[in-house]
Order: sequence, then C-alpha cells, then structure tokens
Amino acid sequence: MRVDYVTGNTAIALGSIAAGLRFYAGYPITPTSDIFEFLARELPKRGGYVVQFEDEIASINAAIGASWACAKSMTATSGPGFSLMVEALSLAVITETPVVVVYVMRTGPSTGVPTRSGQYDVLQATYGFHGGLVVPVLAPATPQEAFDLTVRAFNVSEKLRTPVVLLSDATIAHTYGRVVVREPGEVEVVERAKPSVPPEKYRPYDPGEGLVPPMACFGEGYNVLVESLTHDERGYYAPRSDVQRRLMWRLYRKIVESAPELFDYGAAYLDGCDVALVSYGSTSLSTLVAAKILRSEGYRACSIRLRTLFPVYEEGIRRLLNGVGKVFVVENNVGLYYRELRGVLRGSEVVSVPIIDLDLPQPREVVEVVKQWL
Amino acid sequence: MAVAHPLDRYLRTDRLPTMWCPGCGLGILLGCILRALDRRIREGSLRRENVGFAGGIGCSARMTLYPYFDSAHVIHGRAIPFALGVKIVKPEMKMIVVGGDGDIAAIGGNHILHAIRRNADLVVIMANNMIYGMTGGQQAPTTPRGLYTTTTPYGNPEREINIVKLAAALGANYVARGSVTHTPLLEQMIYKALGKRGLAFVEVLSTCPELFGRHIGFRSPVDLYSELRKRVVVKTRPSVEESDYSWERGFVIGEFVDRDEPGFIEVLQEYTSRARGGAG
Amino acid sequence: MRIEVLIAGRGGQGILLLGHILGRAVAKYTNLYILGSEIYAAETRGGDSRVDLVIADREEEADFIKVMGADIAIVMHQLQLDAYSHLIKDGAVVFLDRSNVTSVPQRKWRVFLEPYTDIAEREFGTPRVANMVALGHLVRQTSLVPPEGVEEVIRETVPKDWVDVNIRAFRYFLSR
Ligand SMILES: Cc1ncc(C[n+]2csc(CCOP(=O)(O)OP(=O)(O)O)c2C)c(N)n1
Ligand code: SF4
Repeated sequence: MRVDYVTGNTAIALGSIAAGLRFYAGYPITPTSDIFEFLARELPKRGGYVVQFEDEIASINAAIGASWACAKSMTATSGPGFSLMVEALSLAVITETPVVVVYVMRTGPSTGVPTRSGQYDVLQATYGFHGGLVVPVLAPATPQEAFDLTVRAFNVSEKLRTPVVLLSDATIAHTYGRVVVREPGEVEVVERAKPSVPPEKYRPYDPGEGLVPPMACFGEGYNVLVESLTHDERGYYAPRSDVQRRLMWRLYRKIVESAPELFDYGAAYLDGCDVALVSYGSTSLSTLVAAKILRSEGYRACSIRLRTLFPVYEEGIRRLLNGVGKVFVVENNVGLYYRELRGVLRGSEVVSVPIIDLDLPQPREVVEVVKQWL
Repeated sequence: MAVAHPLDRYLRTDRLPTMWCPGCGLGILLGCILRALDRRIREGSLRRENVGFAGGIGCSARMTLYPYFDSAHVIHGRAIPFALGVKIVKPEMKMIVVGGDGDIAAIGGNHILHAIRRNADLVVIMANNMIYGMTGGQQAPTTPRGLYTTTTPYGNPEREINIVKLAAALGANYVARGSVTHTPLLEQMIYKALGKRGLAFVEVLSTCPELFGRHIGFRSPVDLYSELRKRVVVKTRPSVEESDYSWERGFVIGEFVDRDEPGFIEVLQEYTSRARGGAG
Repeated sequence: MRIEVLIAGRGGQGILLLGHILGRAVAKYTNLYILGSEIYAAETRGGDSRVDLVIADREEEADFIKVMGADIAIVMHQLQLDAYSHLIKDGAVVFLDRSNVTSVPQRKWRVFLEPYTDIAEREFGTPRVANMVALGHLVRQTSLVPPEGVEEVIRETVPKDWVDVNIRAFRYFLSR
C-alpha cells in the first residue's frame, strides 16, 4: 500500500493491475489514451500483455477471447469507440464473459468536443446494445474512487460472469487526487468459479444451484463452447421459447438480483435532509459543493453520489431517500438518469437539473436552479 | 454408442446431422479439417486440448458447432480478434478460424488485413462459396463479376477480391487456395497450415447449391460441384501472379506462399520480456 | 480545514510542474486530502497555464477540483493576474512574480511580491526554475507542506540532470 497523487485515468490503470489484469486491448482515443500508455509500460513488467488493435471492435473481441483463455481483460474507450463495441458487448452478455470496459465519457454526440466532459452516455453504457439486458455500470467521481471501483468492476465481472462498464468522464480522467494505491495481493480479488466436474460432465452454461455457471477456459480440456446463439446448458443452439425464456431470465436475474450487493453511494449532510441533490460521476463534485452552499443558506440539503448506476437498486434508493421532500437529479446532459429515478421515486417530487457544461457544472449554477424549485 | 466413423471422436456427434443443406460443400471441408487434425494429433505434433476453433456468423462459421474441441461461435466478422485474444494469453493454443467469404473478407476485412500484417499465429480457413449463404444468396466480395445474386439481379457489377494476393502481399507465412472438389490436396494444405507459425491462410472454394447454384442455373448439388471442378485449375507451386480467380479463366488452386518468418506471438513475447529485463 | 490553492501563469513558466509537485507533496507528505486539476493552452508557450488544488483534512471536504475562492495563490504573470484575480478571495496569501507583474490590484490580500524569474536567472542561471523559487517561498510562508517532502517529490519528478538546480532554487527562500 502506498499513497500516490495521480489522475483518474492513472488510478484506473493502477486499479486494474491490483485486480489482476493480464490482457489489455485498445485503440487510442481521447481521453483514454493515457490508461493505455500507462498499461503499455507497466503491465508487461508483471507478465501481462498490452496490444493495440486495428479498431475498437477488434479490441473488445480480443478482450473477450482473452477472457475465455482465463486472463482478466480490459479495454478502455469513449463514445465513438463504445458505439463500435456494443455488438460485442452483447456477445459478452450472452456468452457470460467477464470483461471490463472503461468508458470515459466525453462531449458528444459524434466527435463533439473530444477533450471535454459530459455525461451524455450514461444510458448507452447499459442500454446501448441489443438484447435488452443490463450490465453493471459503476461510476467513480474521484481518482480514489476510480481506483477502488476498477477493482470492484473486475470482481463483479468475475463473480457474475458479465461485462462491467466503469463509467468515467473526461473531467475525472484528468483530475489529480490523493490515491491510496494497493498492490496485487493487498486488495480482495474475486476469481470466476471453475468447474468442479470432469470435462465429460461439464456443461458450460449450467448454473447448478445458483445463477452463474462455473467457467472453464480454452486449453483446459473441457471442450468449452462459446455460443452467441441462444443456447441450452450445453451451449447448443436451441431456437425454442422455453430455452430462450430460461436463458433470458437467468441472465437478467443474475444481474438484477445482485443489485443490493452492488449498490454503492456516498452521502453528505444527510441529517434532516429534505432537499436531496442526487448525482453521479464528476457532476457529483459540483453537487456536493452545491449542497454545502444550500446548507449554509439555511436549506436542509444533502448530497448523494451514486457509484452504482446499474442495476438500479430501487428499494435501496427508496429507503435512502425516504422522507426527503424534493429530490433533484443533477447531471451534465439533458436529464437522462433522472428518468430512471423518476420511476423509482414515485412518492417524492423528483426534479431534473440538467446542466450542460464542457467542464464541471458550477456549484453556484446548481444552487440557483435548485432554488427556483424551493 | 457405436463408433460409426473414425472421425466421430472429433465430433459432437449428438449435434449431427449438421444444419447444412444436402449437397453443401462445407461438410467436405469439415472432413478435411478433421482428417488433417487427426494426422497432427496422432503424430504428436498437436495436442488435442490445445486446439481451438473460432468462427463468426454464416453457414461456414457454423462449422465451429461440430468439432469436439474448445470452440467459439462469436459474431459476424470478429472471430479473428477473438482467436487472437486467446492466442496471445495462451500461446500454446492452435487457433483455427473458420468463416465464410463475407465473414472474413467483407465485414471482417479489417481484421484479416491486420492479422496478416502482424503475421498473427492463426490458421485462417476462408470458405468461399462466392455468395452469402446464411442470409440467402446475396453478393459477396468474392462473387465473380457478372454473376447473378439476390442483391445483384442484373448481374454483379463489382470486381471480385483475390484474397490470395492480399494475403501474400501483406506477408502471411502460408497462403494456399484449395477446393472442396480436390480433397486430398485440401487436406494436405490444412495439415501444412496447422504446422506453421505465423499466419496460415487457406482459401477454400466451396459449393452452395442451395443459393449460388440455383441462381446461376446449376440446380443440383452434383451439377454445381462438377461445374466448379471444371473451372478449377490445379498448379504445383504456382506463383502469386498465377493465382487467377476468375469464372471465365478459372480458379487456380495450389500453395502460393510458404515461408517461415517469426510469428506475432513470438515477437510479442520477446518484446514483452524486455519489460521484465529479459532479452533485448 | 479546507484550503484552495491557485497557481497560474503563462505556458512555459513551469506552472503545471509547480502545481504537480505541490499537489504530490501534499498527498504524500501530509495527512491531507487533495483534488487537483490542470488547464493548459494548446501551445506550450504563451497561453494560460493553471493548476487548481482543493486541500482538506477530511475527505468529503476535498470536494471540488476548481478554485472558487483561493486561500493561497501563486501568479507568475500579469495576464493571468488580470484574468484570475476574481478567483482569489480576500485575506488570501498571494505570491506574485514581480519580474512579470507590473500592477497589483487593490485587494485585501497578503501579497508577497518578489522577482522570482530574475532571482532564478541571477542565482541559478536559468529562468526555468523560477517556479521552484516561488514554490519555496510559498512553503516557507504557509507551512502547508514539509520542505523535505517537496524535495523528495522534486527528486521523483524532475529529470535527473535538473534535480539539483531545482532543489537549490526551491531552497532559496527557505534558507533566508
Ligand atoms: C453485424 C451483422 N451484420 C449482418 C449479419 C447477417 N449475416 C449473417 S451471416 C452473413 C453473411 C454470410 O456470408 P458468408 O460469411 O460468406 O458465409 P456463408 O453463409 O456464405 O458461409 C450475414 C450478412 C450479422 N449476423 N451480423
Ligand atoms: S445455404 Fe449454401 S452454404 Fe449454406 S448450408 Fe446451404 S448450401 Fe451450404
């Protein structure tokens, strides 16, 4: 363990190393390239591989392949690249492949302002690919959180055999902060469950009693099947409604039923809170300050920073905001995650505070907008 | 279960019969691949648990459903990066990519290009039935100019790809074109490809009687097969310049390139070991 | 306790390095929490360079990455002083490079006006260490970080051939 002073991007790279990353595949894109460059220097020293591929499509597919060869793998990109990756993420969902995708949001749509920040892609991170299932999305706001949540992202992806999106943004990417860096062996690391039956008996998509099947890898003699088609427990294509139902509900349940365990947030100024400013990612820094300002002006404001955006833990959020009169969802986009929360918090008054800014929304601006509703 | 066929031990026999149409050339190709593998495994130059298949989407790519090895049936065009991901972290694997001409030369075109440029240690077998089979007989980059497909009802206006030239130009270690009409030669090519380091590319002319044959007037599988056989020109050690790919002049098959330059994995490992204070 | 620090100047004045060394020293050699951000113009010479640091003894107080009212500032050029003085609050401790600052606004600041660039040139033969001269001044006057910590960070951060002169420049104000 050591204390360092690094950017959000470097913290992600360090976190991935602590979690046991062995394969990084990438295609350069602002503002993620320094994750790539850092790992290109550091990962080979630890026996891992870093390869630049011909595009993001190749990168994510190679990461999925490496994961099937038992290596923890990761790629990082921003909007344009993530858009190219979504087809393969859908593959990772149905094949239940652990893989971590770091999504550093920048200003869009399209090429937008490549170096600057925004939170426009928060829904794409989980809804962006076909198949209608949810992947866990974790959102750090500081370099320390970037480190911690990267480790978590790997653990969740291994445990649930799912792709996990670590959703950062251009602001966090280049924000420096004090980070407690842990080395491999100093953090709790989860490894995917391995089959306990001999190869003849192994069924690659048989979850047994639970919801997550043990995973054998290429080269272990298990004759694994990676199957993008709807498949039964053996991995055999089965275009039948009963199989589709079983598969869909299991894939859905294994993520959604983990919501309580995945739920993570930070809260400040909670006591007596009657005005909750809910936010995530870099904007939650603005919100934290805004809540402090509101408190100083006599409002009973609090700030809540969601670190797990998906799956949405509805009960947890309801409990957290129980009794709060007004909930303001502050985000640097046209008001996207608000739609998720509006449905969850039907009892309270939920107000969208969309503030579009190439940098962090100014806390003062947040305060002004909120006050219009108080 | 009685062993009905010597290759059954390499097949997921419970999945047979295959999904392919009666008379499809792909079954012949699968037979050649398994026989070549059998030779390698029996002579001890390949370990069975180190053989892995990867295919994208298409009738050809579905070949990955049947062999009783580690196998991945992924998404259209992306089997090459998947296989390379496996290979990089498990260099002991012999990864065989099987796909159609659409899978590998069209949507996967960027990946094959760069896999060859890297001389990536993969065996890539591109089944070329001159159309898109799975989706119903549309034009492929390999469709000879002038022929009819469902998306070129007035004849294909496009120039066809000669992928042998591409693979040779970008530096694959092994480049061959075989045909399901000439199985001993095809099996030999695949056998050889399995023994290469670097990228070994085998283009395989195959027949799709169901869609290609019907559109160009060869309704029965045997007619199409005989037609292809007529148009195939076998050459021993032809040069790349001789690699004609033409409905009129014929399709030259043979081994065009056979060299032995270090593959990507070897070089990557060497460079990576520098980080650990190793060689270099 | 919560302190905002603003460091600003023109590109080429070593502003980012100054900010980075200070930030790193706070992170590693104090018990304080810190967040920081940088702005630099596309061109390496001429445009704005700026580092914002938010330092606090409790993690949730290190809550922002932009200065809203700086408690401590180093400004190395008149242009940035004009541009950013509204970000420096009354009562702040402000270090200005007299070599490049000609007019100081009438504010309730505690101003230290010293010719950092001239000192660097005269004493160390290069204007490039003016940033370290100023940093030494800040450290001496504010006791925000232990000087040994800063020196340690200079050793980790600066190219080998430059460590010595940077440390000597850093010590200029500390040793008087
Ligand atoms: C991204 C994407 N686009 C389109 C398709 C539809 N599709 C499936 S197979 C195929 C082409 C098949 O042709 P080929 O690769 O030549 O294989 P064949 O079936 O002829 O063996 C297409 C276009 C798809 N699965 N995915
Ligand atoms: S459509 Fe053509 S290629 Fe596909 S299985 Fe039938 S005959 Fe074979």
